Amino acid sequence: MRVLVVEDHATLAGQLRAALEEAHFVVDTAPDGEEALFLGETEPYDAVVLDLGLPRLDGLSVLRRWRSTGRAMPVLILTARDAWTEKVAGLNAGADDYLTKPFIMPELVARIQALVRRSHGQARPEISLGRLMVDTTGGRALLDGMPVKLTGLEYRMLAYLAHRAGQVVSKTELTEHLYAQDFDRDSNTLEVVVGRLRRKLGDGVIETLRGQGYRLIVPGA
Amino acid sequence: MRSLTLRLTLLTGLWVATGLGGAGWFVADIATRQIEAAFDARIGTVLDTVIAAATQGTDGRIRVAPLPAGTDFERPFSGAYWQVTRADGSVTTSRSLWDQTLPAGRTGHVGVLLRDIPGPRGSELRVAERDVVLLDASEPAHFSVALSTDAQRAEVDRLRRILIGVFALLGLGLVAGVAIQVVVGLAPLRVARRTLAEVRAGTRDRLGLAAPAEIAPLVAEVDALIEQNRATVERARAHVGNLAHALKTPIAVLRNALGVTPPDIGSARAEAASLERLVQHHLARARVTALTTATGMPEVSPLAVTEEVAAALRRLFTARDLTITVTGDARVRLRTDAQDLTEMLGNLMENACQWATAQVSVTVTGTADSVVIRVEDDGPGLPAGAEGSALARGGRLDEAAPGSGLGLAIVADLVALQGGDLALSRATTGGLRADLRLPRRGAG
Repeated sequence: MRVLVVEDHATLAGQLRAALEEAHFVVDTAPDGEEALFLGETEPYDAVVLDLGLPRLDGLSVLRRWRSTGRAMPVLILTARDAWTEKVAGLNAGADDYLTKPFIMPELVARIQALVRRSHGQARPEISLGRLMVDTTGGRALLDGMPVKLTGLEYRMLAYLAHRAGQVVSKTELTEHLYAQDFDRDSNTLEVVVGRLRRKLGDGVIETLRGQGYRLIVPGA
Repeated sequence: MRSLTLRLTLLTGLWVATGLGGAGWFVADIATRQIEAAFDARIGTVLDTVIAAATQGTDGRIRVAPLPAGTDFERPFSGAYWQVTRADGSVTTSRSLWDQTLPAGRTGHVGVLLRDIPGPRGSELRVAERDVVLLDASEPAHFSVALSTDAQRAEVDRLRRILIGVFALLGLGLVAGVAIQVVVGLAPLRVARRTLAEVRAGTRDRLGLAAPAEIAPLVAEVDALIEQNRATVERARAHVGNLAHALKTPIAVLRNALGVTPPDIGSARAEAASLERLVQHHLARARVTALTTATGMPEVSPLAVTEEVAAALRRLFTARDLTITVTGDARVRLRTDAQDLTEMLGNLMENACQWATAQVSVTVTGTADSVVIRVEDDGPGLPAGAEGSALARGGRLDEAAPGSGLGLAIVADLVALQGGDLALSRATTGGLRADLRLPRRGAG
C-alpha cells in the first residue's frame, strides 16, 4: 500500500513516514503543493495525508484539482485549522477524513488503514479468507490461527492482494503499489516474493494467471 | 466634484443666474412697454394739437397756427415734424422739415395710425397720422406728426444697463451668501474631523462633541465605535491574561514531570492533553470575538449552512451506516456570522453522529424573534440529570475526560455570547435532543 504524505514541516513529515512505514505502508513525501499535485496525478497512491497550509499551492487547491481530474484516492486532511468552516470546506472539496493537529500517531495510522480498507470495499480490519486471516491493524497474517513469519515486502504484497481478494492484480499494479516512487523496480523480484509467500502459506492461496498477474483465491467463491 | 462647498455654490450660481436672468428680462420688457406707451400717448396729443391749430383758408391752402412751446416745429431737423396732405395732393409741412417731406401715409381709414419710419439725417421717427375733414372743407386732409425716438431709445438702453447691473450685483451677493452659509454650516464637520484626528493621535479619548442635530448621530456612532473598539481590546487583553494563567500551571507541571529522573511520562502526557484542550477551548472562544464586535451582520440561511455541515459529516461518517436528514424552512434567515453558525452546528451535529445508532435528524424552524435548530440522534441519550454537567464549561475543563462534552460546552459558550441558549432533552427516539435557539437581531 502506497501512501503520499504532503507536509511541509520536515520533522513532522519524518515522524509520519516512520509511523506509516512501521504499519507496512510504502511512503512518499512531498514538501509543497506543486510536487504533491504532480505526484498525486502521476502515481497510483492508496491514500494521501494532506496538510492544508502548504508552500506554493495550498492543500485545498491541490485536493480540488485532483478531484476535478478524476483522482479518487482517499485523502485525509491533517491540519492545525480546526474551525468547522474549514472542516466543512475540506470535506466538501472531496476529502474523506479530517484530523486536526495536535494528533496522536496511532489514531492517524488507524484512520489511514480504515480509509484504504474502505476504498477497497473491506469493512473490517481483519480480512478472512478461509484458513488465512490478514490482520491489517496489527500488520500480520494468521494461518489456522497461527502467526506466519513474513518479511515487510511479503506482508505488503499479501495485504495488497488481500484487499483485492478475488480480483486479478497485474505485476505492474503490484510494483506500483509496493515500492516507493524512487525505488529501483525489478519485476523479477516479485516472482521471487510470490514464490516465498506460496511456500509459507501453502498451495491454493495465490494463483498465477500467465500474462495477466496474480489473484488471491477466495475460498468458496 | 469632491467639495461640498464648491458643489453647493455652483448649483446655487446656476439657479440664481437662471432666476435673475428671467426676472430681469421680464422687468425690462414691462418698463420698455410703458415707455413706448407714454411716447405713443404724447405723439397722439401732439397730433391732436396740430389738427386743432390747422385751418383751411379760402384759397384752399391749409395753415397751421404757431403751436405753444414744447414742440419745436420751427427749427430745421429738430426731430419734430408735421405734414398735411390734401386730397388733391398738395402738401404743407412744418418748417422743421425744411425741403423734405414725410413719406405718404395710408389714407381712407378711421382713427390714428402709428408706424416707424427712417427720418432725415439718419434719425428714427415714429409717425402718427389720420384723416381729418377740416371746417369749411369738403375733402378730408391727411395729417401726419413725426417725432424722433432717439431720446426714448436712449432711455430704454439706460434702463436696461441699470437692470443688468443691479441684478448681477444681487446674483453675486446671493451666491456669495450661499458659499458663506455652506462654509459656516459645515464648520461642525470640520471640528468633528479635527477632533477625530486628535482621538487617533491619542490626545483625546472620544469625540464628545455638542454637535448640531444633523451630525449628532454621526458623532454618537463614532463614539460608540470607539467605545466598542476599546471594549474589544479590553476583552482580548483579559482573554490573553486568562489564557496565560490557565496555560502556566500545566506547563509548570509538565516541566517538573520531565525534570526528574526518570521522567514522569504519565503526568507529562496528561498535562500535554490538558494543554491541548485549553488551547482548543480558547481558540473557539476567540473566534466568537469577531461576532460580538462586528457591526452589520449579513443574513444567512440556517438551512443552507445546516445542509453544508450535513454534507461534510456524511463524508466523515461514510464508514458508519448513518442517515443524516435535514428538514426545515428554506426561507428562514438569520442575521449572524456564518462561520459561528457553522462552528456551533458542526460541534452539535458531530456529537449527534458519534452517539447515533443509525439516524440523525436536524430541523430548522423560525419564529418571530428566534430561529431554533433541533438536532436529534437515536443513540443512548444523556443519563437523567446529566444535562447540566454536559454543558459545564470554563475553569474545570482540564478535568474533563478527552472527547466527552467539550464540543457541547463550546456550543453552549458560543450560543450564550449570541444571546441564545442550548437546551438538552430526551428525543422521542430515546437519544439526545439538542435545541439551539438563536435570537434574530434587527430585521430578520
